Amino acid sequence: MTYPRFRLSAGLSAGALIAAFAAFTAPATAADLKMMFQGDPYEVDAIGAAAKAFEAANPGTSIELIHTPHDSYNEKIGAAVSAHQLPDIVELDAPFLSNYVWSGFLQPIDGLIDKKLLDDMTPSNISQGTYPPDKKLYATSLVDSTVVLYASKKQLESLKIRIPKGVDDAWTGEEFKAILKRLSTAPGVKWPIDIFRGYGTKTEWIPYAYEPLLISSGCDLINRDTWKASGRLDGKACVDAAAMMAEWVKNGWVVPQSAGTNQFYAQGRPAALAWGGHWFYSEAVKAMGDDLIVLPLPKFGDKAASPNGTWIYAISKDSADPQLAGKFLSFMIQDPAFQKAHRDHSGFPGLKSFGAASPLYAPGGPMAVAFEQAAKTAVPRPPHPAYPAISLATQTAFTNILDGADPQADLTKAAAAIDADIEDNDGYPPFGGK
Amino acid sequence: MLLPACAIVAFFLLLPFVLSFPMSLTNRRLIPRPVRFVGFDNYIQVLTDPIFWRALFNVTYFTVLVVPVQCGFALAMALLINQKIPGRNFFRGALFLPAITSIAVVCVIWGTLFQYPTGPLNQIIGFLTFGLAGPIDWLGNPNSSMPAIVLLSAWQAYGFQMVVYLAGLQGIPGDLYEAARLDGASTWQRFRFVTWPGLRQTNIFVIIITTIQAFKLFTQVNILTQGGPRDSTVTVVQYMYSVGFVGQKLGLASAVAIILFFIVLVISLVQRAVLRDPK
Amino acid sequence: MTAIDTPLPGTSDRFPMIKIVSIAIITFVVVSPLFLLAVASLKPDRFQILAEMGSFKAFWVDNPTLQNYRDILTFSGNQPFARYLTNSMIVLVFTLAGGMAFNSMAAFVLAWGRIPGRAIILTAMIGLYIVPQESIVLSLLNIVNSVGLADSFSAQILPFWASPLYVFLLYQFFSQVPRDLYDAAIVDGASPFQIYWKVFMPISLPALATVAILLGIETWNQYLWPLLVTQSNYARPISVGIAGFFGADSIYWNLAMAASVMMMIPVLVLYLMFQKWFVSSVISSGVKG
Repeated sequence: MTYPRFRLSAGLSAGALIAAFAAFTAPATAADLKMMFQGDPYEVDAIGAAAKAFEAANPGTSIELIHTPHDSYNEKIGAAVSAHQLPDIVELDAPFLSNYVWSGFLQPIDGLIDKKLLDDMTPSNISQGTYPPDKKLYATSLVDSTVVLYASKKQLESLKIRIPKGVDDAWTGEEFKAILKRLSTAPGVKWPIDIFRGYGTKTEWIPYAYEPLLISSGCDLINRDTWKASGRLDGKACVDAAAMMAEWVKNGWVVPQSAGTNQFYAQGRPAALAWGGHWFYSEAVKAMGDDLIVLPLPKFGDKAASPNGTWIYAISKDSADPQLAGKFLSFMIQDPAFQKAHRDHSGFPGLKSFGAASPLYAPGGPMAVAFEQAAKTAVPRPPHPAYPAISLATQTAFTNILDGADPQADLTKAAAAIDADIEDNDGYPPFGGK
Repeated sequence: MLLPACAIVAFFLLLPFVLSFPMSLTNRRLIPRPVRFVGFDNYIQVLTDPIFWRALFNVTYFTVLVVPVQCGFALAMALLINQKIPGRNFFRGALFLPAITSIAVVCVIWGTLFQYPTGPLNQIIGFLTFGLAGPIDWLGNPNSSMPAIVLLSAWQAYGFQMVVYLAGLQGIPGDLYEAARLDGASTWQRFRFVTWPGLRQTNIFVIIITTIQAFKLFTQVNILTQGGPRDSTVTVVQYMYSVGFVGQKLGLASAVAIILFFIVLVISLVQRAVLRDPK
Repeated sequence: MTAIDTPLPGTSDRFPMIKIVSIAIITFVVVSPLFLLAVASLKPDRFQILAEMGSFKAFWVDNPTLQNYRDILTFSGNQPFARYLTNSMIVLVFTLAGGMAFNSMAAFVLAWGRIPGRAIILTAMIGLYIVPQESIVLSLLNIVNSVGLADSFSAQILPFWASPLYVFLLYQFFSQVPRDLYDAAIVDGASPFQIYWKVFMPISLPALATVAILLGIETWNQYLWPLLVTQSNYARPISVGIAGFFGADSIYWNLAMAASVMMMIPVLVLYLMFQKWFVSSVISSGVKG
């Protein structure tokens, strides 16, 4: 008598199990077009609405959307490719494009998307979607990205720090160092700068946001002619640049990784400057209002550099209907509602027309300098199939160096790891340089 | 009756694991390309990588700390809520909440608690020591990062062991306590001579399983520190994950998995031999 | 005598008030980090939550609102939370039903059956528990796809109907059952299945509750596997749904926190349901009876 509940549930489950199970084995219904993507809730909605609008405009066509959480996207792509279940349209992180094209599962989209859309893409947008060996376009997007410096206007003015007017006027390396030093003793400043170490190494942040500093200092993650990292990433220019960043950290000028990513605008403004992505604007402006100003990245050596690249849409080689995929992509990217959703969330323009129509980035807008910077100084991350190895080695090295490791030793290790990966793959033909 | 379970385990666990052995002998990449047989190159590469050894050291350190802390705390809590007290279900439910909180949320919460230099934990320490103890960069200092991960992990997961201990406590015959009480045994004596021996089987299970779980440490580290600072929290599974999913070297990652398997298997068998009832 | 009346370990009638207060304090301290979660879920502004992280403000809300909860439940069809929640429930119920049956049957045979190579099977079981899920998911995905279970509920249920962990746990429990009980049933002419079902299962409620609770949490919080095996929203569980709030450039803390609180409730109910099976001295009263 003590156990009626047990008998009941066991009996129920045994019966229900077999009866109901067959119903669940059937997979979801097949659609004409499948698209895998990642994105914030507003993007999910915008893409969903675009798909519905496309279905309405093309009766009989159905689109299945496979939304994948951002933090797990690489795993999902890897698994989908290795299980041969890649959808027709795949969104991907731009620097990985070369790796995916080389691996052979994407197809050129030049002939698949609207000519009008093609002509509207910014040079930076084209560069992030182009595979260097065949110079063909494999991906497109409405948006792009960049990194700028954020500051408080009042703070800079009160400390009599020069405020650059535009990209050509950017702070020099020497000037920047003096500014950090000046800020370090300014009242109320706990850290002169946040370089968002808090993003950690789960994102592309380190190679994305720190590479421009290296390029501007006269080096790079890899030699883009010979595709060899040794001699470049562990050369003097890179070691000096990494040592400079490590010194900032050692001086206590940089927000530590464990202090989060909100120190620039948190109460009391502990961090004076922020080396942040364009998306950081909406976070910061909410707390700081008019006081927030946007500055170009400093120019450390002879040339200025800034990052680019974002999540872009490609069409898989196995797609049953690439024409339809191209048609949908063209439709979605040029869909006014889709564009509005991105404009409302300070999306960084990857189309000329979208830039002109975005008050934030248009001339005179608060982020105009970001758009100017992208046009003048953007350098994509190395477009090479070894990019996953380049990214991994760079992240490890810079994390360690900023935590106090020897710059020369760790960069040598990173360069060797990258070269070993390239060698393991026989130089990733047709890429040259062995 | 054994068949269904064995078939399921064989098909969904053993088979994929066995498949990783041939893979570990090739240069198989995450994104399929023609593969090449490379013999034991992957094993040599793993075993000569100082990061792998660092990872092995780290998980061992983690295990040595977390097993006693987590199991001890779980047992204490189980004893606490196994008593007849008013609102017992409330306490049972409340103390189980950490265990049902998803690990991603746990990491967000503890990331805030640990924040340097003004996070709540540092403020409490400063308050309790009248500001004498300076703020600790919990996750940012190589010396404190692993203990911080231990604290977080034990807090998140003790509910698992607590439930097993609760079940184990029900297996101890009530008449033994009755007899002990009649003999005038103190609370401690009753624990020492009735409860503790009665939990023998439970302890074996809990210690072996917690050790295995500890060696598989991954998610917390992947979210909070990604192995840093200065490799102080790199774990074997995290190393494998990074090699496989980020570095795209599936062959190499399979070799790591197989090496980890044999190391932990030996540890478990030794533990079982040591802990087993000498019948 | 019912189980509840037996004295429980460590019970003392002295100082009951002090005892309750100290338990309450311990519980409060242990649970206090979770207030951050509850509090944040009542703040409507994700920027505010982010700005207040890392200080005590994270544990306080001035203008609590249920807006986040409303937002989630009324989300458009692209992120259907009600659907995710239902999916998770379906997976949970079927995994539990099958998991409890198959794990306990296997454990019973291993503990009491006369089968060759019992020690080997047991060791292999423990050994397989060592295998980290991260190392086999890709192979598992290929296997599941090749038997036609891609993007289905079954793919999230079937593989978890048996687990070395729970077989081992139940084996430990079953092997403690006094021999007389088994022998008496044999003398009565019971078949092995009858012994399992009528003798062992009823007296193993605490162990079965443990398996139900632990397997329940494990199923509920599965992330990597359902992420890889589901494509559309058809069978996608809530754990993967919530991860969508952790966006590329920004994290939707308000929604993520509210969804996380909602996600905890069903497993809490499951736990409270099954913890009632933690009744003392079932074995000893079984022996007497």
